[in-house]
Amino acid sequence: MSGLLNWILWLPLITALILLFTPKGKDNLVRWISLVGTFLTFLLTIVLYMKFDTTVPGMQPAFNVSVPWIESFHIFYKLGVDGISMPMILLTSLLFFICILSSWTITKSTKGYFALLLMLEASVFGVFLSLDFFLFYVFWEVMLIPMFFLIGIWGGENKEYAAVKFFLYTFFGSILMLVGIIALYYVSGATTNSFDILHLQGGKWINETISIFGHNFSFANLFFVFMFIGFAIKVPVFPFHTWLPHAHVQAPTAVSVILAGVLLKMGTYGFLRISFPIFPQAAVSFSTCIAWLGLINVIYGALCAMAQTDVKKLIAYSSVSHMGFVMLGLAAMTVQGTNGAVLQMFNHGTSTAMMFLLVGILYERSHHRWIVRPDGSRGFGGLYTQLPKFSIVFIIGMFASMGLPGLSGFISEALIFLGIFQKFTTITVLAVVGLLIGAAYLLWMFKRMFFGDVIEECKSYTDMNAREIFYMIPLCVAVIVFGIWPSPILNIMKASVGKLVSLLAGFEA
Amino acid sequence: MGINYLANLALYIPELIAIVTMMGLLFLEATYKQDEKAHKYVFIGSLIGMVVCLVSLILNMQIAATPAFTNAVMIDPFSTMVKIIMTLGTIGAIYIGHSSKDVYQGLKSEFYILVIGALVGGMLLASANNMLTLYLGVETLSIISYVLASFKKNDDRSAESGLKYVLYGGISAGIMLFGMSHIYGVLGTIQFTGVLPKLASLSSMEIAILMPAFLLFFAGLGYKIACVPFHMWSPDVYEGAPLPVTAFFAIVPKLAGMAALVRVSMVFFSNEGMLQYGWLGTLQVVAALTMIVGNVAAINQRSVKRMLAYSSIGHAGVMLLGVVVVDAIGARAILFYGVTYLFMTLGAFYITSFVSDKYDNDHFDRFSGLLKRYPLMSIMMCIVMFSLAGVPPLAGFVAKFNILTAAINKQFYTLAVIAGVTSVISLYYYLKIVRLMVFKEAESDEKIEGFGFLNQLIIIGVTVPVVFLGIFWEKLMIIVNGASILTQ
Repeated sequence: MSGLLNWILWLPLITALILLFTPKGKDNLVRWISLVGTFLTFLLTIVLYMKFDTTVPGMQPAFNVSVPWIESFHIFYKLGVDGISMPMILLTSLLFFICILSSWTITKSTKGYFALLLMLEASVFGVFLSLDFFLFYVFWEVMLIPMFFLIGIWGGENKEYAAVKFFLYTFFGSILMLVGIIALYYVSGATTNSFDILHLQGGKWINETISIFGHNFSFANLFFVFMFIGFAIKVPVFPFHTWLPHAHVQAPTAVSVILAGVLLKMGTYGFLRISFPIFPQAAVSFSTCIAWLGLINVIYGALCAMAQTDVKKLIAYSSVSHMGFVMLGLAAMTVQGTNGAVLQMFNHGTSTAMMFLLVGILYERSHHRWIVRPDGSRGFGGLYTQLPKFSIVFIIGMFASMGLPGLSGFISEALIFLGIFQKFTTITVLAVVGLLIGAAYLLWMFKRMFFGDVIEECKSYTDMNAREIFYMIPLCVAVIVFGIWPSPILNIMKASVGKLVSLLAGFEA
Repeated sequence: MGINYLANLALYIPELIAIVTMMGLLFLEATYKQDEKAHKYVFIGSLIGMVVCLVSLILNMQIAATPAFTNAVMIDPFSTMVKIIMTLGTIGAIYIGHSSKDVYQGLKSEFYILVIGALVGGMLLASANNMLTLYLGVETLSIISYVLASFKKNDDRSAESGLKYVLYGGISAGIMLFGMSHIYGVLGTIQFTGVLPKLASLSSMEIAILMPAFLLFFAGLGYKIACVPFHMWSPDVYEGAPLPVTAFFAIVPKLAGMAALVRVSMVFFSNEGMLQYGWLGTLQVVAALTMIVGNVAAINQRSVKRMLAYSSIGHAGVMLLGVVVVDAIGARAILFYGVTYLFMTLGAFYITSFVSDKYDNDHFDRFSGLLKRYPLMSIMMCIVMFSLAGVPPLAGFVAKFNILTAAINKQFYTLAVIAGVTSVISLYYYLKIVRLMVFKEAESDEKIEGFGFLNQLIIIGVTVPVVFLGIFWEKLMIIVNGASILTQ
């Protein structure tokens, strides 16, 4: 049993290593090996899901792995899974499997592409599974290397700029986090448990102060802010979001899917796993601030999305907006709000992945993404009559991310609003406006692209092929099923979320 | 006395081996008429000598701190560890010199011999235990370095670099000597051993003289490790000097100076008081400036060698953080940093040397599209660049992590954040090389002769530790931990 997490973590990397030893020119072999590798990983996460004990709050004792790694610094190779990381792990393994399928058309150094994608998967699992702070940091950073190359080699026209900006931005955030990690290590006595995320939890450093240039700062507040910046860059929280549109637009489809579907969640996961439990008092005192930032994300992201003429950029900004809802749910610090936030992380992962995949499918046919071209003419028109299957899937994805009742986005957003309403009434009301703008830009985009006359160049487009339909099915199913029946996910997180919320409640004034 | 002297010599075997190698090679070189043959034998001889020296150093690691030659030098695990790193760096420089076109064919033997001579100076500096030995070490290292810097006789820039080095070196050595004389005037001794009690009973007047005296003294060491504001010479000298020499300069003088600085800080400034406050305050400012200036100036360079020069200034700044904490955690962090810095620097210079030999210059553009032509070499260069920037799971990250722990343990949060932010800046210019190699197309399609098997083997040998020490660094941690305690 305890080997399960190890297998989930390392199987993608083993697959990547196998890829390196495949003979040159056998692109199909490379694709199939990576497909099998990610599929097996997905099956393993399903097994993990089956064996998951929903009654245990916190880490599942059955799966814990703990091996000393660097004893001089009390660093452990420590893995574990709880109700907050479990949905993320499912999401990760599912999306990577789908991404391999969607990348079938990649022909430029195929081997390198798939190997890097698999490396990325391993490091993402590492982030979601590790319970040692040092280990967490290593995975958090390692992830940047495959991302950098994936964007920089297989990206669009302006790929280099996007790749470098992404790398530098995230690196900057994580360096601040590293300073925080080390400070925590020493403040907790540099003992065996000092890098142990679970051991550090509980808000032990309320009265600790540190002095910088003669000014005294509260230890907890200062390092909460440090780590907040590190995670906020990843989410991305306004004003740290400027890397995101570039990275998304330039990245190849599969990488956009991973970026929006999984990597953004690492930021909010960081809040849930690290910032909030370790500095609960700081989290509580900053909660209003977090809520306002979330609101800015919701409104600003939605307005930016509305202004876009590039459909991929539009989806990228809609991610900023939707991650704002997650922030709102976190700021609530209530059971419903946190449940909603985690569920929204999962649901946004599936719905935004659908949207990016669909844009990618369209791009393979049109080789452009203009809703309205710079010269004012329409980029697409009448796709609905031209590509019926594509349109149906697009409608499902769009309505899911819009939050239409019956589809997944609705439940999580409703939970978030339920959770936050009593605490931040004004913010809730304003955030609902964001929802409205969300509906507006999506429908407007849909109208411009899918209705109206079929423009000349769209007549040559072919509808989705079997492979494309095949990999859209799981996402459609997830979006619809979890829209009607969210309990499979909610049940898993219930106990862990309850534990976190009760910890935070202890510090509420 | 005679027996005692012999016992002291036994402690000094590694240095003696290096000296004997140097002398022997001089004779060997003189006995052969044919240049080709002489170069080959001298090359092999120098490598053998260095390996033997390395082995004896490793054996010396067992020896607990022992002062030798009436307290003139201190043989302790700390200095021995630094010497091991320097010897490895010298071996690397000798090998790069062997394959590089930058060292003229007719001067190869002289290069090997001089480099070993400079190493002896570096070793002396690393274990110097009184002011005079320290000065002797600095000068031995410097004088040979002046010659090495201007080794490309027909190149104006090399001559310029030699001259600049002489001027800077001469002036700063003079200033250092001036400072030392004041220190001697106040303390009445040049010894490091037993100086602490004297420091405790100083009058405020004497402290007022000592503080500027130490500042002057710092000029000499500061110039060796090339920290701000004594760094001006280093980019020009690095750029003008032949590439193998630059690699040597980036490793040996820097680490030797750093070791001496650690020892001086530990000896004179481990007790709290005005003196410590002044010295460490100066070092903190210097460290911060060095990190900022080195890394910011590296951004806009067009020559890779010059970029590496500025980046090595930045690394010196990071290492200085290990000095300002004045404790064993800082010392072990410096040792760890030294080991990883050695491998990263050798890797970077080795590849740069190969590229600049192919194209006769080392502009950034020459790295364009390198991945297609030399996949293995480019991947290794990427690893080295990421490691220099401090991206996990590579050794450079662990080294920075160690330094940061030392700084944060002493609550130097501001310095830690500066170190972090400047390493983000450094990532930018290291990524420039990665970008050119991986994302760009090559300038032309001309076929270039391959990267030989031996070269591949060596570059792998240099890069593997960079990856390995990033993941399995417990063993090295134990070693540097054991070597980090400087007893006086």
